[in-house]
Amino acid sequence: MLETFEVLKDAFPYLLEGAGVTALAVVGAMAFGFVIGIHIAVFQVYGPWWLRRVVGLYVWFFRGVPILVLLFLFYFGLFSLIGINLSALTSVILVLGMTSGAYQSQIYRGAIQSLSYGQLKAARALGMSDTRAILSIILPQALRLSIPGFSNEYSIILKDSALAFVLGTTEIMARTHFVASRTYQHLPLYLLAALLYFMLTWMGVKVLRKLEEKVRIPGYSHLQG
Amino acid sequence: MGQNRIWFGLAGIFAMISMTVPTASALEKSYINGIDANFPPFAYVDKTGKPAGFDVDAIDWIAAKLGFKVKHQPMDWDGIIPNLNAKKIDFIASGMSINPEREKVVNFSIPYYDIKQVFVGKKGSGLTVDDVRTKKMKLGVQRGTTEAEWLKTEAEKQGWNFTLTYYDSAPLAIEDVVNGRIAAAAMDDAPAEDAVTKKPVEILGTFGMKEEKFGIAVRKEDKELLEALNKGLTMLMADPYWQVLIEKHLKK
Repeated sequence: MLETFEVLKDAFPYLLEGAGVTALAVVGAMAFGFVIGIHIAVFQVYGPWWLRRVVGLYVWFFRGVPILVLLFLFYFGLFSLIGINLSALTSVILVLGMTSGAYQSQIYRGAIQSLSYGQLKAARALGMSDTRAILSIILPQALRLSIPGFSNEYSIILKDSALAFVLGTTEIMARTHFVASRTYQHLPLYLLAALLYFMLTWMGVKVLRKLEEKVRIPGYSHLQG
Repeated sequence: MGQNRIWFGLAGIFAMISMTVPTASALEKSYINGIDANFPPFAYVDKTGKPAGFDVDAIDWIAAKLGFKVKHQPMDWDGIIPNLNAKKIDFIASGMSINPEREKVVNFSIPYYDIKQVFVGKKGSGLTVDDVRTKKMKLGVQRGTTEAEWLKTEAEKQGWNFTLTYYDSAPLAIEDVVNGRIAAAAMDDAPAEDAVTKKPVEILGTFGMKEEKFGIAVRKEDKELLEALNKGLTMLMADPYWQVLIEKHLKK
């Protein structure tokens, strides 16, 4: 019992550092996915037919291929083929980000489509260009509606990030495995890892919840209204 | 409008974070050694999270003698050779057995350690090596190892009855031996001896696989590095420090 406690005490800073790596990978991936996702969503709703087709293919591909396959494909294959030698962590961020972008795009698309088309027509009547109207009228509402879906996506990507070690990124899971291999205290160590994931999920969801409250428009909480 | 700026400002910040691309700076004579950190006593991470073990100490000594910098990077064993050939790491000094399959894709240094493969079973189970080979039972082994390959081909040839179960590391296979999910695990003898000191398991004996030799794996084209490592290994094995290392890591 005492020995277990000692092992956990020694492992904690090392695993916490791993939690930092995990958090960096997830925040990076979510941000990159956000940029991709928002563009795809707008293109899918408002784009010309060929653009809808192209981004549709993108979403179909990244939702259809397992992340593990994508990680190997990009890290050992495509990134090397085009001659860029990215670090493992950067590759993880890019691949998770591209995948998350595909999923996030559907969150934003759903939110955009829940808004009445009349808003866009009204904006045109006031002389706004479509781009202006999408940026100033549609997206501010759609993004607010997307926060709950986004926080869902956050907790999913967080757990997908455990795959990152196949490229040698020493995040929480890899580090837990290392310490367990040395000490043979598998159960307590994996419990500690679970606790760290739980804390990261809790913190992220909490922050997004706060954001949701912060940007709520008073008297307009049910946006359909 | 103010609200808009917040949203797009946020997007901008996120975009910037995702753009920070840390690339390995190519200092002169600085190498990355890929290790399987789930392979005590040859390579593991110590209490403070630093790479440690027989191979790590050996490489540090060689690096100091020959005047190059070295960083030990834990890697997934499954992908360690692809990582080497994709230039993500420069060599692998982590208890890698020299075998013809691997020699097709990488070059090996001179051998530096002889290793036997053993079966490990639960303490007091009364199992013998022959039981494991002939009876219908589950045998665990680490994926991507020479013993995994050998057991698979040999079992077909000899008509052995065990079913192979694959693990990410040998310690995980040991864990399942203790749990009773598999009857025995096949692994190298040094890590098996390490396991015996920490878990209620015992070594059943060797199972007929030919003794293997550990070597350092280097990319085919890196002839200079291979020569340097060979020189370093020769120096190290002639030095009294070699015995110190063996005492420290491999003798119980």
